[in-house]
Amino acid sequence: MLAAVFLWPLGASVAASFAREGQWTLANYATVARLYARDVAYTIGVAGAGTALTFALAIPVCGWLRLRAFGPIEFLLKVPLFVPFVVVGHALRVFWSPYVPSFSSSWAGIATALAWKHLGLAALLLLGAFRGTDDAYLEAARQLGASTGRLTRDILVPMAAPALAVTGILIFSSMLASFSIPLMMGRGGGPQMLMIDVYYRYGQHGDFATASALGVVAYLLAMGAALVYVRRLTR
Amino acid sequence: MIEPARSIGALTARAAALAVAAFFILGPLLSLGVWSFAERWTYPSPWPQRLGLRYWARMLTGDFLDPLYTGLIVAVIVTLLALLFAIPLGYALARLRFAGRTVILLAFLLPQAFPQLPVFASATREFYRFGLAGTVTGVVLVHLVGGLVFAVWTMTAVFRALAPELEEAAWNLGASVTRTFLTVSLPLAVPGIVASALLVFLYSLDEFTGTLLVGAPFVTTLPVYMYTASVGYELQIASVTAIVLMVPGALLLLLLERVLKAEYLVFFGQV
Repeated sequence: MLAAVFLWPLGASVAASFAREGQWTLANYATVARLYARDVAYTIGVAGAGTALTFALAIPVCGWLRLRAFGPIEFLLKVPLFVPFVVVGHALRVFWSPYVPSFSSSWAGIATALAWKHLGLAALLLLGAFRGTDDAYLEAARQLGASTGRLTRDILVPMAAPALAVTGILIFSSMLASFSIPLMMGRGGGPQMLMIDVYYRYGQHGDFATASALGVVAYLLAMGAALVYVRRLTR
Repeated sequence: MIEPARSIGALTARAAALAVAAFFILGPLLSLGVWSFAERWTYPSPWPQRLGLRYWARMLTGDFLDPLYTGLIVAVIVTLLALLFAIPLGYALARLRFAGRTVILLAFLLPQAFPQLPVFASATREFYRFGLAGTVTGVVLVHLVGGLVFAVWTMTAVFRALAPELEEAAWNLGASVTRTFLTVSLPLAVPGIVASALLVFLYSLDEFTGTLLVGAPFVTTLPVYMYTASVGYELQIASVTAIVLMVPGALLLLLLERVLKAEYLVFFGQV
């Protein structure tokens, strides 16, 4: 089942990316380099900004929640987990549109919406890691007068560094591959997210070969997440 | 080490933090509510010029109800099929050591790790050859990819969490592996199976990318309907649909907050 509907099409798209009119060629990648280099950079930039924003919000909040439990905020942080991607894209579009109409389709608008959706996942993983930190270290530092901010920065974050790295890779890869959020936020002029390019290249131009080459670029960029999963499994 | 808030200053800080968090998390969702009643709202008015129920009334027409039914039917079929595969497979993965176990687990992680859109585009092409593109069967198949990932991983976790001693006792009394599974393990796993079924059902109901590609142009579910409305600048229709789409997830969050384990939630965040 899985082989027929996922693995086979995955293989077929990789193969198609190296073929044009029955010949093996790199021409599709040349097209990607010619037309989409800017979009690849843009996608990496938006995913990077989105990941940074997610961490900038999640780390202080989770540090604070670790040190001073507060149920209502913890509950609120779980809400984005249960809101479908398409709904997130639309909600953040109409949230801004009456006041700053052009914001939603800008890079900052997309990064904000992606951060909103991934805040739930980040909070879940970070709180888990922070709660795994031994109380004794925190107690000792607190006795010496450290504030919540210092405790988070100097103890929780360094001790949870591996979990932070894994969370960052998973979120970055998910943002790179995001399709429904940027699609719902609307198309501004200028560069587009990679998945939007794949969709239009295939759906409107009917150019499956170039769409597949774009897809392979995305597979490679998202390789970090695949490696994280493999490591978890083989450990 | 968790410190309770004592002073008035600390309580005020908490209230302020809660207000800020509520604004950023609930604000966009509440704006969906305002938009769904806004019969007229043009820039730069800070508030809708005319409010009304016109767009909610559209919910009662076939435009809206047909995609709702299609989505529900697909979700029920996907949930049943996914569990039918995942319950025995999850049990085998949790309890038995066999060659290829790691490979199977890995195969069920790939759809989670790789960008799905290019793969689904490729699947759509293959589906055209077999007459599956634009059919409910095609949409069920593409939903099964993600559905199976959730189902297999949650069922493996559920069976792994059961105490093996009960099964060992049954084996010692002479029950076969199959009989032990049916009379001991399966009844004990019912709460986990229900949680897994809810996750798969919700995943299928909310799935957008695969449905858009494989279902086009004949099979429309609510997420696709919402996208079409939004492209046509019918922001109110899209907002009504968005609110309806959030209802099952909100119920799950409220009802199952205590029942659902954190590891299931992690899967959920990646839908």
